[in-house]
Amino acid sequence: MAISASDLVQDISGLVTLPDVYLRINRMVENPGSTTEDIAKAISQDPSFTLRLLKVANSALYNFPSSVNTVSRAVTIIGTSQIHNLALSISIAKSFDGLPNDLVSMENFWKHSLLCALSARILARQAGQCDPDALFTAGLLHDIGELIIFNRLSGLAKKALTLVLDNVDELPVNEAEYQVMGFDHADVGGELARQWKLPPLLEECIAHHHHIENAKRYPRETALIHIANIFAQMAELDTLDPSDVPQIDPRAWEITGLTEESTEPTVRAAQAEIAAVAHLFSA
Amino acid sequence: MALSPAIKPPPPPPTLPGFEHVKRSWNNNYQSYAARILPGEYYVTRHDEGVYTTLGSCVSACIRDAELGIGGMNHFMLPITDAAPADAWRAASQSSATRYGNYAMEHLINEIMRNGGKRQNLEVKIFGGGRILQNMTDVGERNIAFVRDYLKIEGLKVISEDVGNIYPRMVVYFPATGRVRVKRLRSLHNNTIVTQETSYIDNLKAKPVSGDVELF
Repeated sequence: MAISASDLVQDISGLVTLPDVYLRINRMVENPGSTTEDIAKAISQDPSFTLRLLKVANSALYNFPSSVNTVSRAVTIIGTSQIHNLALSISIAKSFDGLPNDLVSMENFWKHSLLCALSARILARQAGQCDPDALFTAGLLHDIGELIIFNRLSGLAKKALTLVLDNVDELPVNEAEYQVMGFDHADVGGELARQWKLPPLLEECIAHHHHIENAKRYPRETALIHIANIFAQMAELDTLDPSDVPQIDPRAWEITGLTEESTEPTVRAAQAEIAAVAHLFSA
Repeated sequence: MALSPAIKPPPPPPTLPGFEHVKRSWNNNYQSYAARILPGEYYVTRHDEGVYTTLGSCVSACIRDAELGIGGMNHFMLPITDAAPADAWRAASQSSATRYGNYAMEHLINEIMRNGGKRQNLEVKIFGGGRILQNMTDVGERNIAFVRDYLKIEGLKVISEDVGNIYPRMVVYFPATGRVRVKRLRSLHNNTIVTQETSYIDNLKAKPVSGDVELF
């Protein structure tokens, strides 16, 4: 019988897991009784995670005027909800280092993810009525299902990518995957998010960034990730021509209230920001 | 997604003899057929149809008789010879390395001329030679240098080009009009393209070209 997106995620549960430090932070943040000190203590138990967190806190991503030297200061400045997002980003990036593949280099994979995250944060600030930091995390993780497909189903994934290259018409990668496998990387990512009980906002953005009409709880955030994903491709290819990249669903503009005029400033800003933060999330 | 009206595409135009095996498909954007060529292949047509390929470090020459609208595209690279510098192939111009390049260029040009093309009407565009892998010798640059040299020696002028840089490309060429569409491809496609190009090169090494390249 053909494999499904959910089989695939079951399949990797022994290979890729969320680290304890994330689960601890998650419990603390969800418990209204925990203090900043409790959260800082939970983080400090994992020295390599602590190191990464301080690196991110001191990076151009935040531009804090003075350096952030201690975990409790990081938690205070960054805020508990963003610490939660950040912990997730760092944890997932780290756990997926253990899932190598032959199709895309981790460097190129995270570059696209980070361009999407940066674009999403910029767009969220413009659009308003949503949390730019949550959108950053959603952008960073939107294609995570791709790493699972590339690792577990490399033959079929290769077939899908070859199909894209064989088509002189623009055939989006997700549609090629659907034709070859019956599901795409967004389905797999969404399934992972459900099994890992990630916040519903992330689950929706990951699962529906190609089919925004299916986002029921977070349509606004999902539409922003949809646009940010295309902007990230423009930033990578250094183009502003919409015919060089897959088409943006017109409903995404309606839902977010943004217009095509956001394209150039957002793409340029993401290109300018990436250099300083390129290595924060990849190994 | 916009649905195109269900109009049945017309039958494909006949191919020139020898190109029957090349895969062609109807293309909605361009409202014409387009032939897909792979590394090591070429395609020439006298009809209004496209020819396309995806290039990593390989190069394609798009050549046509601008008066008659007969032309086509090739897709090739020089075999990788150790860690030779970009211009090492010049040192031994009749080496096996250049033979593959000469072979690809001469087949394309000969086929155009055999179908009525005139040398003085030839119009040339070149594409590809991207540096899509960071940590290897720049084979793309070597391929570009070869094509430039070849065309210079043959006295053929390049009227347009998009070569080098870090991107893989999809190139679509219409010999009837000379129109070209170059699309940069995401790094997501790098390894798939490298695999295609590598298997072509391995194939070349296994089957050396025989010496019977026609001169014109």
